[in-house]
Amino acid sequence: MEEGEGSNGGVFEGGLEVRVLVVDDSPVERRMVEGLLKKSGAMFQVIAVDSGKRAMEVLGLTDDKAEHPTVDHQKVDIILTDYSMPEMTGYDLLKTVKEQSCRKPIPVIIMSSENEPQRISRCRAIGAEDFILKPLQTNDVLRLRSYARPTELSPRTGTKRKMTLELMAENSGSDRRPRLAGLAVS
Amino acid sequence: MESSDLQRRYIDFTSTLFREGFLDSQYTQLQQLQDESNPEFVTEVVTLFFQDSEKLQDDLTRTLDQEVVDFKKVAAHVHQLQGSSARFSTPPMRSLCIGAQRVKNVCMAFRICCEEMNREGCLGCLQQVRQEYFLVESKLETVFRLEQQIVAAGGSIPLMW
Repeated sequence: MEEGEGSNGGVFEGGLEVRVLVVDDSPVERRMVEGLLKKSGAMFQVIAVDSGKRAMEVLGLTDDKAEHPTVDHQKVDIILTDYSMPEMTGYDLLKTVKEQSCRKPIPVIIMSSENEPQRISRCRAIGAEDFILKPLQTNDVLRLRSYARPTELSPRTGTKRKMTLELMAENSGSDRRPRLAGLAVS
Repeated sequence: MESSDLQRRYIDFTSTLFREGFLDSQYTQLQQLQDESNPEFVTEVVTLFFQDSEKLQDDLTRTLDQEVVDFKKVAAHVHQLQGSSARFSTPPMRSLCIGAQRVKNVCMAFRICCEEMNREGCLGCLQQVRQEYFLVESKLETVFRLEQQIVAAGGSIPLMW
């Protein structure tokens, strides 16, 4: 698990933090969305996962919660999920989240590179708050705030930074060095 | 070399890449997301892109090497490859960034070969994909090298519009 600078404790002065769970099997997309959210100026805390299955763990929706004690089932204000993912699609995740009976269901926004009306209406029919065409742009990110149910501000100490958690599947990820000569990935 | 000379070389080279369709507004967006808190953002994303693409290409090679090819799996990998490239293209023109339009065209042919369960066709498409990525990667290496030289000479990297 990677964390951004300023571990669990950013100070968000004068505003409410919005926890966004980003679900996408593409590492490029996850990084881009994270960059967009951080740059937007809004107070987003980003949790990024690479699969619907991992998203379920973060949301505490798996049957075997005890097997994943590293994930503290964090409250999530918005779910931003890709539609097309292997094994568990964004649609499957959306359906599962909306089937949870709770007073305040989490808003789910679907991202897709395909502008298919049937796909869009199918998602909206089961409760998706919005459907955004990829690649995401800055104004798409700004729309997210309107769907958020921000958590209350809790006083925290530490530097004023936004936190990003990148939760990878245990056997994924590469420790390969960057391809481009003379350059390092931070 | 003075930073102004390097900046001129940078502008000339990247302008060519924009004209030839190797870069477009998505690259500009990448640059705009880079700041003091994210000083390596562009390099990071582009490196992730090539790492991910290489992994997908390796997965495709492995899948196509099987005695009995799972064309559904091949199609899924191609879809991922296409999706990754789409990050770097702009609708509706689909002008490319990082060779994405050219890769996209090959991916479309690739998917047809999958539907036809044409293994040789798929292998041919994969070869084309590899060539396109190699070409684009070498162009971007030049861009990043120039950026490093500009910064080392005390200059700032021009934002390309």
